[in-house]
Amino acid sequence: MTASVGLLSTLVGVALALTVLAPVLLLVLLYRDWKGDRLW
Amino acid sequence: MKSVQDAILDPTIGWTILGLFSLLWIALGWYWGRHAKELDDYVLAGRRVGLALGTATAMATWVTSNTTMAAPQLALQLGIWGMLGYSLGSVGLLMFAPLAKRIRRLMPSGYTSGDFIRLRYGNTAWRVFLGISLFYSLGWLVSMGMAGGILIHALTGIPYHFGMSVILAICVGYTLLGGFRAVIGTDFIQAILILTGVVIIAGLAIDRVGFDTIHGALEQQRPELLNLLMPAALMFLFNNLLFGVGEIFHSNVWWSRAFAFREGVGARAYMLAGLLWAPIPIVAGFIALAVPSLGINVPAADMVGPMVAADILGVGGAVLVLIMVFAALSSSLDSLLAATSILLTEDIYRRHFRPQASSAELRRASAWIIVGLGALTWLLCAPRVTTLAELLYFTGAFVASTIWPIAAGLFWRRANPLAAVAGMVLGSAAGLWSYFAIGFYVAALVGAAVSMTCVLLGAWLAPDRFEWSRLQETHPQGEVP
Repeated sequence: MTASVGLLSTLVGVALALTVLAPVLLLVLLYRDWKGDRLW
Repeated sequence: MKSVQDAILDPTIGWTILGLFSLLWIALGWYWGRHAKELDDYVLAGRRVGLALGTATAMATWVTSNTTMAAPQLALQLGIWGMLGYSLGSVGLLMFAPLAKRIRRLMPSGYTSGDFIRLRYGNTAWRVFLGISLFYSLGWLVSMGMAGGILIHALTGIPYHFGMSVILAICVGYTLLGGFRAVIGTDFIQAILILTGVVIIAGLAIDRVGFDTIHGALEQQRPELLNLLMPAALMFLFNNLLFGVGEIFHSNVWWSRAFAFREGVGARAYMLAGLLWAPIPIVAGFIALAVPSLGINVPAADMVGPMVAADILGVGGAVLVLIMVFAALSSSLDSLLAATSILLTEDIYRRHFRPQASSAELRRASAWIIVGLGALTWLLCAPRVTTLAELLYFTGAFVASTIWPIAAGLFWRRANPLAAVAGMVLGSAAGLWSYFAIGFYVAALVGAAVSMTCVLLGAWLAPDRFEWSRLQETHPQGEVP
């Protein structure tokens, strides 16, 4: 059973999209913690 | 076939980048650690770390040589399941989320995972556990020191020993100056650098080579990498899942964070870190699948990641790779140095030799131990005796045998001390046997299965009646809770 090009591109594409979102989310959380004086 | 034996970057550029980032980490370490005079401030960042820094430090620490070096290596050896298997390393972070919450509640004054094992199961289990945990920590430290040297050499031509020495010296330097606050603060910046770098490299690989070309070349030259039923890869998948769970459940790197996060943050931080980490090995490992289409000759499997990235991206890309991997390795090395130093300070120095030591004395001891750990890691990295994945998976048998004693001990009064010892010893032995007799991809699987059998049998035949209040301990002399 061989992975098709569609499966490969979907797998990597979804992973890439999630990885793009991660730094944005971290920066938003950092701003919220900083505003709420909960950084550390 | 062409060989990318020659470094892409001029050594001068390499030294400049290493120098600039080294100065930045050292300066930040000094700045964040300048007020950390007390033990809790120095080793646990005052136990008040918030969600953003907590999530980033868990994620960045778990992005190690795994994603930068070994994920591409495994993708090249095991194909699609190699990438997915690495991705399942996130299950460890996700499963640790409820444990982090319980650890913080049961042990608000705790310092180490060793504290828990000692109080929960007694001294024999504690010493067995310390042996496993310290062996694993050293293995991880050495694998990352080696990764630093190999990668810097592959990208810049700077000799292995120089690159490895620089990365170790810098991490020791800023961890020493700033303690856990420096570790967590730099981890946030390093997380952003890693994520940005991974996205750019994979994005450009897709743009310049394309899925169709990569898939076509794989079908012709390495069809086994597209095989969804490769038996060794499927075993690796489950093995890696258990390996990741074992690494996280037992290691003081993750326990120290559970103690350091403010009340209510631990579970959310670990859950979010797991979700954000899961796609990274897929994105980082994918670039190795471009090897057949690029016609690159890979002389050593653990060099495939930087070689492909440099081949696709040229000089500018190689600079980016160097920065990203320097961040990935630093974020894990600093965490390991800090967590292992407090493990040695609390469980060896204080509990074995200086039970009356004051908070100030323990803080000083912790700093000296960071220096000693750095020196020992350097000595073990110098010969470069094995490949990264081999070194990493050798420890799998040991860490997987701790999963059940830890999880059962945290949630189940019936978990029995003798069974916990048997689980760790017999699980490690069986895992090691399978490592040599079958292969690296089953060591954790066998270790966890044997350990589980021991713990469950022990709780069934001779159940304990543990009182959770026994996990509460007083702080060292002079420390204010």
